Amino acid sequence: MKKINLQNDIKNNENTQKTIIPIIYSYKEKRDKLLNEEQKEKFCEELRKIKEKSINNIVKLKKETIKNLSNQGINVIEAQTVKDAINIIKKIIGKEKTIIKSKSNTITEINLENALKNKKIIETDLGDFIIQLFKEKGIHPVLPSFHLTPKEISKKIKEKFNININPNPKEIVCFVRNILREKIFNAKIGITGANVISSDGSIFILENEGNISLISRIPEKHIILTSFDKIVETREEALKIIRASSIFGTGQDYPVYVNIISGPSKTADIENEIISGAQGAKEVYLILLDNKRTTILNSKFKELLYCINCGACLNFCPVYHQIFSRYGAKYFPGAKGVISSFFKESEKDAFNNGAFFCTTCQQCKENCPMKINLSDLIRDLRKELVKQQIEPSSITEMIDNVKKFGNPFGKIDTNKKPDKLYCC
Amino acid sequence: MGILNFFGGNVLYYPGCLTKIVAKDLEENYKKILNKIGIDFIMLKDLEVCCGNPVLNSGHEKEARELVEKNFKLFKERAVKKIITNCPACFHMFKSNYPRFIKNWDIKVEHITQTIAKAIKDGKINPKNFNHDITYHDPCHLGRYEKIYEEPREIIKKSGNLKEMKLTKNYSFCCGGGSGVKSNYPELANSIAKERIKMAKETNAKMLCTSCPMCYLNLKENSKEIDVKEISQFFFDEKNNKQKLK
Repeated sequence: MKKINLQNDIKNNENTQKTIIPIIYSYKEKRDKLLNEEQKEKFCEELRKIKEKSINNIVKLKKETIKNLSNQGINVIEAQTVKDAINIIKKIIGKEKTIIKSKSNTITEINLENALKNKKIIETDLGDFIIQLFKEKGIHPVLPSFHLTPKEISKKIKEKFNININPNPKEIVCFVRNILREKIFNAKIGITGANVISSDGSIFILENEGNISLISRIPEKHIILTSFDKIVETREEALKIIRASSIFGTGQDYPVYVNIISGPSKTADIENEIISGAQGAKEVYLILLDNKRTTILNSKFKELLYCINCGACLNFCPVYHQIFSRYGAKYFPGAKGVISSFFKESEKDAFNNGAFFCTTCQQCKENCPMKINLSDLIRDLRKELVKQQIEPSSITEMIDNVKKFGNPFGKIDTNKKPDKLYCC
Repeated sequence: MGILNFFGGNVLYYPGCLTKIVAKDLEENYKKILNKIGIDFIMLKDLEVCCGNPVLNSGHEKEARELVEKNFKLFKERAVKKIITNCPACFHMFKSNYPRFIKNWDIKVEHITQTIAKAIKDGKINPKNFNHDITYHDPCHLGRYEKIYEEPREIIKKSGNLKEMKLTKNYSFCCGGGSGVKSNYPELANSIAKERIKMAKETNAKMLCTSCPMCYLNLKENSKEIDVKEISQFFFDEKNNKQKLK
């Protein structure tokens, strides 16, 4: 494999590190105020049980979900591959030119923007809106633009819109609010992800900004792209996952809005006849993307499907702190992204995305509401890669040394210290 | 040095490759400390082979298992009843991975900070008093992996005033050296270590102490701002350059 040197990535991220680290500490402070260690452990245990039960029973729960949501008037469509998902979305969009979109890792996963180059996709999440202006990729699944300063953002706005906005967050938010409202009210198609689905027939989408409330109500068609691993059994369980996403994602107890969608908007006010499309969406589509998740489900990496995408695993990851989005896949940074790319792309992609960057320090597991042991999963991934001789050259040297000399350093020269510290 | 004892079983001091080959002064320190405590121990010396932890972390499980078998045989031939090691990676490997790989694994495993903390309580040994603030870096393999947080702190508290960093114990921030990163991507390991050093510096402590040879070497290499020590160095007077046991 081609040798990776991260020196430039580290250097290019120096400013990002300076901006982000204080934000991460304030996040932890907020989170610790909400849950002390004992409460946190108890809550995590409860959450883990919910996800274990759901994923172990997922085939049945998925059937149940599809049946219930279909009966309530939602068009549920399963997409095996990214290509399938895109074709389904294209068909629903038809001739419409403008699509309003909220932040979603699944939408990033299918690279919708690239697939719909001839259409206009409008980001309505402030972070994603900013990222779109900068033509960058988001660096965190929950906080995509938290590395950019107000100064950089207002400069970009001047460049793109030729409007002077003072570099303070309040004025930037006000500017974006006005621009987006107009676009949202004219849109016919909205697309969002989902945080949780309950098999008893509801889709849960959390947000703070209110853009998802608008996307799911204003346009005629609301497309929800998500994946089956978001399914839990009951609405009560779903609300616990929502709270966890909020606490572990941003350090707030509960999000401002939780959209619970159980069907298209309807009314029976005239002669008790049910008519779809009162004030909200006339048509609701739920696309369940597989894209290798069934393969993951049937592998030793099943634990990955317990993930609720809160991003807490990244917040104190020592590798992420140095190189941010260079570590992981474009649809999810860090170790989770690395492992996902092994399934969704290739062994080589997993290597280049950082299969051997992880120090297996387990800080991710300590911060994960689901206690996913990413360090163990990374070790399992390395097992798969070394079978194909995909490994850094230092590992090949280390294994040779161990075989020949019984230690990672090779022949012991008492007068000289080894050049490389191969342990541990 | 102890003699082979086939009846009661032997205590083995296992420094591990990094200590034995690179951080040799630490091995000397620990041998003296164990002698002072009065522990009758044996060593494998030239026969000692890697515990298998770096091999397992690299994804080479087959080779790791071979080392495990080899070590188990060596330990049994020498009637080892207990292993004391100063290396948290070896400690975790023997304590938690060997029992997974070997059905009849029955050897006790102790991290040397546990041995020393107990000896301090029993009045057998005492570290030097520095009379200033010291901060402690929890090695991942000792802390998060094996939940040993208190013993190293008990030792440090005998030496000076312990000042905690903002990420500590179960939230301790990795030094960056583990799992092969120090040799695979040294630039990454160094950058992480520098971030950890910053956290140590923020405590205003004069000294950063750790109990792992890898954390020690990696942090020391990347610290200009704060004096980095390995916990065994608390027991020796460096000024005389004689490594005299206090």
